[in-house]
Amino acid sequence: MSEVATATEAHDDHDHGHEEHHSSLGLSNMKLAMWLFLGSECLLFTALISSYLLSKTRFIAELTAGNPDVIRGTLGDNVPADVENGDRLANSGDLLEPFSEMFAEGTVEPLWDIPFTSFSSFVLLMSSLSMVLAHSAVSKGDYKNTRLWLGTTALLGSVFIGGQVYEFTTFFREGLTYQGTLFGSAFYTLTGFHGVHVTGGILMLGSLLFLSFRGKLQKDRAETVELVGLYWHFVDVVWVLIFTIVYLIP
Amino acid sequence: MTLALPPAEQKFDGSPLGALVRPRTSTGLKGWLTTVDHKKIGIMYGAAAMFFLLIGGAAALLIRIQLAAPNQTLLGGDAYNRVFTMHGTVMVFLVVMPIGAAFANYMMPIQIGARDVAFPRINAFSFWVFLAGGLMLNTSWFLGGGANGGWFNYAPNNGIAFSPSAGIDFWNLGLFIAGIGSLSGAVNLITTVLNMRAPGMTWMRMPVFVWMTLVTQFLLLFAIPVLTVAQLLLMFDRNFGANFFNVSQGADPLLWQHLFWVFGHPEVYLMILPAFGIVSEVIPAFARKPIFGYPFMVASGAIIGFMGWGVWAHHMFVSGIGPLSVSAFSVATMFIAVPTGVKILNWVATLWGGKLLMTTAMWFSVGLIVQFTVGGLSGVAHAVAASDTQQTDTYFIVAHFHYVLFGGALFGFYAGLYFWWPKAFGYLLDEKWGKWNFWSMVVGFNLTFGPMHILGLQGMPRRMQTYDDAMGFSNWNLVATIGSLILGVGTLLILVNAMISRRRWIADGRPNPGPDPWDARTLEWSIQSPTPEHNFDYTPQVTELDDFWHRKYAMDENHNLVKIADAKDLAQPGNGEGVHLPAPSFWPILLAFSMPIIGYGVMFSLWLTIPGGILMMASLYGWALEPADDLDPKIDDHDGHGELVNV
Amino acid sequence: MKKLLTGAPVALALLLAGCGDDSKPLNTYEPQGPKAEAIDRIIQPIFLLAFVIGFLVFGVVAWLIFNNRVDPETYDPLDFPDQVHGNAKLEWGWTLVPAVILAIISAWSVPAIWDLEEKNEAGELDVLVIGQQWWWEYRYDVNGNGFFLDVDGDGVAGDEDDLQWPLELLLDPEDVVTANQLVIPAGQQVDLTLTSRDVIHSYWIPRLNGKRDTVPGRFHTWSVAANEAGEFTGWCTEFCGISHARMRMSAIALDKPDFDAWLANQSEAAAIPEEGSIAWEGREVFQAQCTQCHNITEDLDDPANVVAALTAKAAPNLTHFATRAAFAGNIYSQWVGIDPDAAQMDVSTYLDLGANYRFNEPELRRWIRNAPGRKDMAPEDERGMTAFPQLSDEQLDQLIAYLETLD
Repeated sequence: MSEVATATEAHDDHDHGHEEHHSSLGLSNMKLAMWLFLGSECLLFTALISSYLLSKTRFIAELTAGNPDVIRGTLGDNVPADVENGDRLANSGDLLEPFSEMFAEGTVEPLWDIPFTSFSSFVLLMSSLSMVLAHSAVSKGDYKNTRLWLGTTALLGSVFIGGQVYEFTTFFREGLTYQGTLFGSAFYTLTGFHGVHVTGGILMLGSLLFLSFRGKLQKDRAETVELVGLYWHFVDVVWVLIFTIVYLIP
Repeated sequence: MTLALPPAEQKFDGSPLGALVRPRTSTGLKGWLTTVDHKKIGIMYGAAAMFFLLIGGAAALLIRIQLAAPNQTLLGGDAYNRVFTMHGTVMVFLVVMPIGAAFANYMMPIQIGARDVAFPRINAFSFWVFLAGGLMLNTSWFLGGGANGGWFNYAPNNGIAFSPSAGIDFWNLGLFIAGIGSLSGAVNLITTVLNMRAPGMTWMRMPVFVWMTLVTQFLLLFAIPVLTVAQLLLMFDRNFGANFFNVSQGADPLLWQHLFWVFGHPEVYLMILPAFGIVSEVIPAFARKPIFGYPFMVASGAIIGFMGWGVWAHHMFVSGIGPLSVSAFSVATMFIAVPTGVKILNWVATLWGGKLLMTTAMWFSVGLIVQFTVGGLSGVAHAVAASDTQQTDTYFIVAHFHYVLFGGALFGFYAGLYFWWPKAFGYLLDEKWGKWNFWSMVVGFNLTFGPMHILGLQGMPRRMQTYDDAMGFSNWNLVATIGSLILGVGTLLILVNAMISRRRWIADGRPNPGPDPWDARTLEWSIQSPTPEHNFDYTPQVTELDDFWHRKYAMDENHNLVKIADAKDLAQPGNGEGVHLPAPSFWPILLAFSMPIIGYGVMFSLWLTIPGGILMMASLYGWALEPADDLDPKIDDHDGHGELVNV
Repeated sequence: MKKLLTGAPVALALLLAGCGDDSKPLNTYEPQGPKAEAIDRIIQPIFLLAFVIGFLVFGVVAWLIFNNRVDPETYDPLDFPDQVHGNAKLEWGWTLVPAVILAIISAWSVPAIWDLEEKNEAGELDVLVIGQQWWWEYRYDVNGNGFFLDVDGDGVAGDEDDLQWPLELLLDPEDVVTANQLVIPAGQQVDLTLTSRDVIHSYWIPRLNGKRDTVPGRFHTWSVAANEAGEFTGWCTEFCGISHARMRMSAIALDKPDFDAWLANQSEAAAIPEEGSIAWEGREVFQAQCTQCHNITEDLDDPANVVAALTAKAAPNLTHFATRAAFAGNIYSQWVGIDPDAAQMDVSTYLDLGANYRFNEPELRRWIRNAPGRKDMAPEDERGMTAFPQLSDEQLDQLIAYLETLD
């Protein structure tokens, strides 16, 4: 429902009387706008993930590897067998920063603590459930449970962010710095960007919670909770994607 | 922005946050600064674009004067780079895009029979944040010396190592901020088109301009975030020491090119499609027959929008992306000429058999048809990748895209200005001055950019600060410079015309031009001129494509068209009594201008981000807590629906 | 209007003909090598088609305006033209016909993309082209062992094991190094490997081939070939900073015997001037002032030659400076009477420029004294050459005398 639609009715209702607020698609403006915004966010994360993937592969398989033509042009037919696969930089590892030895194997897995990150991912996914419960509660006018589930969601989100902060600190101590390597820049930017999105969500949840305690989050505002929920679910789904791409795929 | 709604029963005490009373005035400077009226916002978009056109145009003339003769020294290497970078950037982001936004804002809601856009305050925010970003970019002239990496700003030349001055930061952060406005504008306008059409205005009854606006805004919605990512990566590189474009760390500079052109090619179409929409409104009105093949016009526009995503790498045919990619993008690019060709031919078919009233708006429209065709054909020439290896980065390309964007888009926008001027301002632009305007622009434009085709084929590369007489470029460059001076004067004539026409209109005591001075076809002509603040007294009911025209004329039993009603009688009287409009607000402009403060902070001192951030958060919460409207006793809580979404 | 209709095509045809102008050295309409000719064969028919279509649209629109125009003052607003809403057949027609035309153009032109990529058989001469702000370096792989140093000694030069950190390769010190003029044998394709030391540049000799970007961190392959001996100018075509307009180059195609003689000469170490001569004094000045950036190889086996990492800042190698026609990104002539932009040098003199032209002493003097004043550069950021105001006139004389002996 928009200001304008309301204004239309306010003036003159001989057009469509007391029917629902006029909306060509039968979807409220707010919800439509949120979907559009999330569509735009999809492209944002697609571009970020692509940049990460490119940076990662470029870092491991460097220079000549991606250009077999150059090898052929300059070396005749003596193309090393391993140029076509991703296994390289073996001997130059000692030239790199200490962290680089992980790259010598063509993998960064040793750095990841998969069980830990899996746990924090699970926590984030669970928060989607509590978000659904919060919306359902507010739709029913059950304000106590609304607060309970909003609070739970915000809390679970905070646990996830806490985990990310812990993880970042650990990686940083182990030598993966933001400025040190291309991979470091790409990793922190992608996961950090997601973290900022989660933090934004927590802020929104906190604001809703505040309003609810003030008694200002009533049944007729259920859509607002739903909108925040949409955003929250989107951020969760994106994390599933990032977790798979960054942590699980070698 | 969606999170904090005041409950319906809350009584508004008039002082949200105790700081700013929701303004009520809609006149004077304060009225403009706080307005949420889509028409005023549209006019401000247009005025801002005209202002930036002066800057971009001055830069263009500097370039042309520098190149008028070989080995000139008016602009040194760095100065030249800054001037051509700012010319391109300003023209693309701060002139052509906002003029499109101006028409979309002003005309689209009226054409679909709405009172405003879906989110009036976000609309104001979109404009102000665009202006804030644009002004921030242009402060580089004084604070950092101007961006010098080209509008395409390729890595790694955009890095701190090769461009240590702050110019690129202005480019990066200024456009980043302006992009936020484009994005919020896109969400807003798409929602408006999708959701706020008058009853009966089905998809296939929407004016072509509305369709093109919709496609354009979808392109923006999906293209802007990709540019945003590129700009973020560049910001992290330049300002925080990241390595995304650091080759010695194994980065691939082509990442920037891919990100930029994935944005950049849809960008090209979103600059031209609004002009296509405008011309599709103007030509039927003055050919006095409906647009030829409306479904094809709509579908071709949408297909251009889709295909625009699959052709970005044709900007990179010589970047070294491999023959397979080059072949694929070459073929894809060629086929985007098909829907574009359909549009050209359908316009020609609309002219065919028509009774052509060659008004200034019509002249500009046929100017678009012919000149865009030239640009389209040279486009096919370099869609052929082998041929492009000779033409790319030469003046042939400069000629090509100026024929498309100036000869096409800007001519289309001028057609729109002449066409809709009376609707917005209540007086007609003078036709005699209009013809001068058109013909001086046509002559100047073709003198300037026509020779550039030849220069490019004779081997003159782009972005060259100077050249040598022995290269044989001198004569055509001189011609182009002379042309550009004519073009510069011609382009400004519309401002002269606006002033003279207005003065004469008042001096002669001429009457209001009435709701429908052109005997035109769409809903915007069914209301008074200038548009009343509330647009429609009541929501129109739409039954046909070109609904307003069909209310004026109908077929008699002999299949002859006869007039059944006069526009003056049909038009809504413009009585806004009892219509409740969204109240103005301070928050959009405050939120918008908090952003460049943070931007300057990133560039100069991170401490500055703190006041910027505080202003931003305060504005966000102030906005969210501000009731959508102050309580107006007349409509207070009207049948239980008086609450308003707070956006 | 009629005058315009008939006049315009004639005028434009004249303009098009004007494109083929031999006096313009960068003209893409004057192909002089097989690759450029292949491109030209694609361009010409497409332009012809474009002209036909363009004039058709222009002509029809002009005719319609001329013919269907009504006077806004006197027309009858109720006398409507036929209210045609469209014609599905016609519209499908002008959707499908252009699609078919474009499909034909695609099928016909795409193979050319692959033709341009075609390389020589292995064993032919390869040249590494390195762009940097704002000049070109060429490295001729004369011994056929690749452009890079085999650091780990596994017999394969320039593979990933030879990468140094930060990521870079060491250049093969045995290759012939020169600058700005790419000397090639006429009548023969020369394969180029393109890369860059700093930002993206683009290598373009219009009469010999289209262009290809030189991207740092990447190696692109490209080629040039000239039908006959001659001088062919080119220009960097990817925007590369403040002296982009002064980053020019040329290709000098020599007959095969001349080329072999040229390469043999370039493969030798630099001549050391006679002790006590002015040039000898100049050598002293050079070694005191210039060797921080410039290199003159006097001993082919000197291990100090192995310094040039690919990504390191570099200045032109001056070992055979006096065999070149122009310097500073090919913008200033080294010899009075040669205009590098005009491309009208008699290339038969290229093997012995010193015997045919006078050394361009004044220009060199101005350049060494104040290079940033002669060409926009940023020496404070290690991009381009610094000024040497501290050199006395006498030192300059000595230095230039030394440079002239480097043939």
